Amino acid sequence: MTATVTRPAPPRGPRRARRPGISRQTREMWVLMLPALVPVLLFSVGPLLYGIGLAFTDARNTRVHQTEFVGLENFTRLLTDAEFWSSFQIGAIWAVSVTVLQFLAALGLALLLNEKLRFSGLARVLSVVPWAMPPVVIGLMWKLVYHPDAGMLNDLLGTHINWLADFSLALPAIIVVGIWAGMPQTTVVLLAGLQNVPKELYEAGEMDGAGTWRRFWSITLPQLRPVIVAITSLDFVWNINQFGLVYVLTQGGPGGRTRLPMLFAYEEAFRYRMAGYASMLGLAMAIVVLAVLGLYLWRQMREAK
Amino acid sequence: MRITSALAAAAILTLAAACGGGGGGGSSSAPNEPVKINFLSLAWQKESVAANKQLVDEWNKANPNIQVTYVQGSWDNVNDQLVTQFAGGTAPDVIHNDSPALSGFASDGYLLDLKDKLPAELKSDIPQSAWDTVTFDDGKGGQGVYGVPFLQESQVIIANKKLLDAAKVRIPTADDPWTWDEFSEAAKKMTKDGSYGVAWAMKSPVNKTLNLALNFGGTFFQTSGGKTTVKVGPEEREVLQRIHDQLYKDKSADPDALGQGTADPLPAFYKGKFAMLPAGVYLRQQVVEQAPDGFEWVTLPAPKGTSAQQGAVSQTLSIAQESEHPDEAMKFISFFLNGTNQAKLAKGDWLLPTSQKAAADPAMTTEENGWDVATASAKNLVVAPFLKVNGFDEWKSKVATPALQEYFANKITIDQAAAKLVEDGNKVLERYQR
Repeated sequence: MTATVTRPAPPRGPRRARRPGISRQTREMWVLMLPALVPVLLFSVGPLLYGIGLAFTDARNTRVHQTEFVGLENFTRLLTDAEFWSSFQIGAIWAVSVTVLQFLAALGLALLLNEKLRFSGLARVLSVVPWAMPPVVIGLMWKLVYHPDAGMLNDLLGTHINWLADFSLALPAIIVVGIWAGMPQTTVVLLAGLQNVPKELYEAGEMDGAGTWRRFWSITLPQLRPVIVAITSLDFVWNINQFGLVYVLTQGGPGGRTRLPMLFAYEEAFRYRMAGYASMLGLAMAIVVLAVLGLYLWRQMREAK
Repeated sequence: MRITSALAAAAILTLAAACGGGGGGGSSSAPNEPVKINFLSLAWQKESVAANKQLVDEWNKANPNIQVTYVQGSWDNVNDQLVTQFAGGTAPDVIHNDSPALSGFASDGYLLDLKDKLPAELKSDIPQSAWDTVTFDDGKGGQGVYGVPFLQESQVIIANKKLLDAAKVRIPTADDPWTWDEFSEAAKKMTKDGSYGVAWAMKSPVNKTLNLALNFGGTFFQTSGGKTTVKVGPEEREVLQRIHDQLYKDKSADPDALGQGTADPLPAFYKGKFAMLPAGVYLRQQVVEQAPDGFEWVTLPAPKGTSAQQGAVSQTLSIAQESEHPDEAMKFISFFLNGTNQAKLAKGDWLLPTSQKAAADPAMTTEENGWDVATASAKNLVVAPFLKVNGFDEWKSKVATPALQEYFANKITIDQAAAKLVEDGNKVLERYQR
């Protein structure tokens, strides 16, 4: 199917004379792209389209149910579903605060690592360690840190708090884990950006009598801007779609206080078996992410000009 | 050019076919090859896993033609796992689960109705009250049996003997348990010198409170005209209120335990931070294994209200609808769950066997480790009403768990909790009754 769609009927008439050259090139291009394209189509685009299709049906994960097309019923139900909105709100708080705090912390760390300190090589390596851990392992590790009786945190503070089961503390507690888990890649990208800032700019700034703060504000930040835009957008998408970490830490509890949208969709699909509704949830989240991201990137681009 | 695109299309088609066809092949077996059965077991306590594996080995040696493969699962995610496996057609033949989960899978058509397959001996060894926990609507107007119940859990009170004796209260027996008033009074007496009378571990409060609510006839659900709704009347409120009173009025319950899972308060229990821990019978195993030397403890029967009834759920073995060897699977189940073997399994899991033969086993009635009290409590078990409610799982996790957690944390009043349970609850249940 793909091959026929992607190759339009050869143009007729006067352009025919140039055809062999172009077509040979296109042909080679497609042949070369094919190995990469097939898995993408089969395993990404296919399921995506299938999921979008499911969103407009009342599909359920059962053996006896006759799936029917229901149009926008799932969508209207989503709009009036208080559970969804509270989960969406939690997701927004989580994604924005993790992304922003992660960025600030990573920027600080990157600036520090960019200085000529002793052991900076070792420090750089150490700062990437969390990156090497799968989210599930990170979750298990922090679960031990937060453990009410044997946890390191309670030992350290001399308190007796069940961090992950407390209604008001659970969300902040997992946000801290989110920041910790995502910092390395942000730091590394920012560090790479920092090392690309031309030294001459700083020298010129120093000549003009600019202080450290002034140099950071007027040279470092503007120079880093494209890197910052790229990494914060990626972090935002990554965070709002976070699943494994929170699933291990709290499974969405206590009382749904940490039920991120993706956990909500997972529960709908695999616990309550409402596959159609869960697909609509996924679709809605994809649209929201695209919209937020589009707006953000568009504004950044415009300001950059 | 035509040829290349045709080739490309053919390549994609082959790939797609290869991927799509992967799951279907290789299942048919030659006539004299042994039949292979997968058995998903959720046993997790060490003794219990050992007992399970030993029984499987025993079976495999005796039945070279029906070979059973032991597959380890986990209670934490078994239902998520089964939903995906059922949908993908890769579910195990024999499935270990518990009765609350069966009603959903049964009405979705994933489980085999065992009504006509059960051997008479197995059927008569297990009392009707246990069979009731696995009997559900078959979606076609009739009733089907969707599993074989084998282990049941009842609630008991595990108590620190020293603190209990020091309080000089009447020691309850299986024939004459405490009333809830006596229980609260005893808890008050034991609250002194920095230790509490009781600890309620209410991280997962729903099943525990719903099962105990039957003490006062609280069923939480009512069905009329084929429509099930939630009800929280005076009967349902009794146990809720009494536990809440212990926490906030009598201050005889340890507030630290509230957010913990059932086994989490044990270290504090050994230290004497509180005297009594209401828990399922299986928790005795951890006390036996972990308690420091010289720690004396006893098992007390659960308190009674207007009756001593408790809601029962059972652990079950079911057969997948799409299993290719249902008859062989049934043979394996009836071996696995015969009286002798059930006694072994019950001992391994520290739960109560459904088999009457197994319950008469001397190991089940010894005074040691409170087996006598535990086994005696089996007579109070009745089918938990919520077992038959379609959508109970969603009600539990979306509505009841947060509402009860907030109520026990004293963040909302009992009226607010009741309103949530009923109003939000009915909305959830509606989805399942269309």
